Amino acid sequence: MVSLREMQSAFAAALRDPSAACPVLPAGNLSIYRNNSAISFRSALESSFPVVRRRVGDDYFRQLSAQYRARFPSRSGDLHWIGRDFPAFLLEHLHGSEYAWLADLARLEWSREKASIARVEPAVAADVLGRFAPTQLEHLVFTLQPSLSLVASDFPIFTIWAANQVENAPPVDQSLSGECGMVRARIDLLEVRPLEPRLFSYLSALAAGAPLPDAIVSAGLDQAGLVSALGFVFTEGLVCAVRETGT
Amino acid sequence: MPRLELRGAPGPIPACAGIGFRAVHQHALATERPAVGWIEAHTENYFHESGPAGRALERARANYPLSLHGVGLGLGSADGVDREHLAKVKGAIARFEPALVSEHACWGHAGGEFFNDLLPLPYTDEAVELLARQVGEAQDFLGARLLIENVSAYVTFEHSCLQEWEFLTAVAAISGCGLLLDVNNVYVSSQNLGLDARGFIDGLPPDRVAEIHLAGHARNGAVLIDDHGSQVCDAVWELYRYAVNRFGALPTLIEWDTNIPALATLVAESRRADLILGEARGLAA
Repeated sequence: MVSLREMQSAFAAALRDPSAACPVLPAGNLSIYRNNSAISFRSALESSFPVVRRRVGDDYFRQLSAQYRARFPSRSGDLHWIGRDFPAFLLEHLHGSEYAWLADLARLEWSREKASIARVEPAVAADVLGRFAPTQLEHLVFTLQPSLSLVASDFPIFTIWAANQVENAPPVDQSLSGECGMVRARIDLLEVRPLEPRLFSYLSALAAGAPLPDAIVSAGLDQAGLVSALGFVFTEGLVCAVRETGT
Repeated sequence: MPRLELRGAPGPIPACAGIGFRAVHQHALATERPAVGWIEAHTENYFHESGPAGRALERARANYPLSLHGVGLGLGSADGVDREHLAKVKGAIARFEPALVSEHACWGHAGGEFFNDLLPLPYTDEAVELLARQVGEAQDFLGARLLIENVSAYVTFEHSCLQEWEFLTAVAAISGCGLLLDVNNVYVSSQNLGLDARGFIDGLPPDRVAEIHLAGHARNGAVLIDDHGSQVCDAVWELYRYAVNRFGALPTLIEWDTNIPALATLVAESRRADLILGEARGLAA
């Protein structure tokens, strides 16, 4: 007698390979399950990467989904995380091609997906700095919102993303300069926003845990730039906590 | 559209029609408050503690009794049940306090790969034993009784030695679970595999059936595909009437998951189920 495990193993093999034998009738109808499974995977991928799908079109997205699935099959009954490796897959798959920018666009979209389920912490106001003595200021480290992702690219991915919030948008000029920016969650709102490069560098240094002065130096900010950047992180509610290094 | 009049703390699922809770309807559901008896949400969409999806369900939950319907556990998988997935189901139950929790009589993964589909089981004694054991373990872990739903089938296993209704009846008897009768699935399977749909309904134990699902299907050549993408067809309504005559008035869900229509269309479909349920109550009175 064939065991249940053997039957499911044969069924699974037939879902991967139409020529594999499986003890079911009519065997031709296995194609329906093969198709259902592919659609579930692709639909989940598309819900995470709608702009990539819009830019490449349905047919090519279907091909990409099948190739990605062959390399990174689903490992969970929860499809939410199915796209985790898609940006890296595209980076490798499209390396050196005229579509290499799609990998960065996918990275931006995955940041948005992660932000959609991240906590939104209460923000601290700028007057928190007043609690520290001037000598302590150079040792301050900011904890930023857990939903914050900072994304940089050699391509104009923020412009592409914004232009493709509708179907059939005209292509964006790829010769535009690279862009950097942030993705973060607010209550019931996801924000995707390009940033000025020095502000981006400053935020990146803060996010990496650099003390305030180091972040200022690495971003090349002057006094006015610092005031502006500090104002930005507090008015945008990006800071959840401020502490001294080593505490 | 009639408006919901009775509000307050949501209680058990009433024996009337409900609708699937879909993100595209959440605003209309909150503002129009249509008079549907209850809502059902897919458990896997609410696994995350943060984010707008869960907050929207919490808001809807304040106005309508809730059922959580899982699609990803694959309780009949010979490789076992994913404990992490089960823990997330438990988390969703703790957060949303559903009045009913359901899953499917299917498997979904083998050799580490998940197919994210409701795959059919062979109707054998071994499969009864395994599904009943894993349903029982899940119920113990979740602290909730599960309703187990019959799935649409496009193939039969050469090794099956039981009728599907015999299989489900045995699983319910051993595990103590209830049954969720999907009338559209019965119809789709019966048409695809030449089975007796009314015989299926006649075979199920009335004391175990606690919920009914209705949905539309598509035709692809000679095969019916359970796509939840259209209105319930006349033949399924007839079979539903037959089921309600046998099991009495039960909570009945209108499922519509693809090509999702306006909320008013979904509500109108639920009215049709309510009429049939009303007839059954009239007969019983």
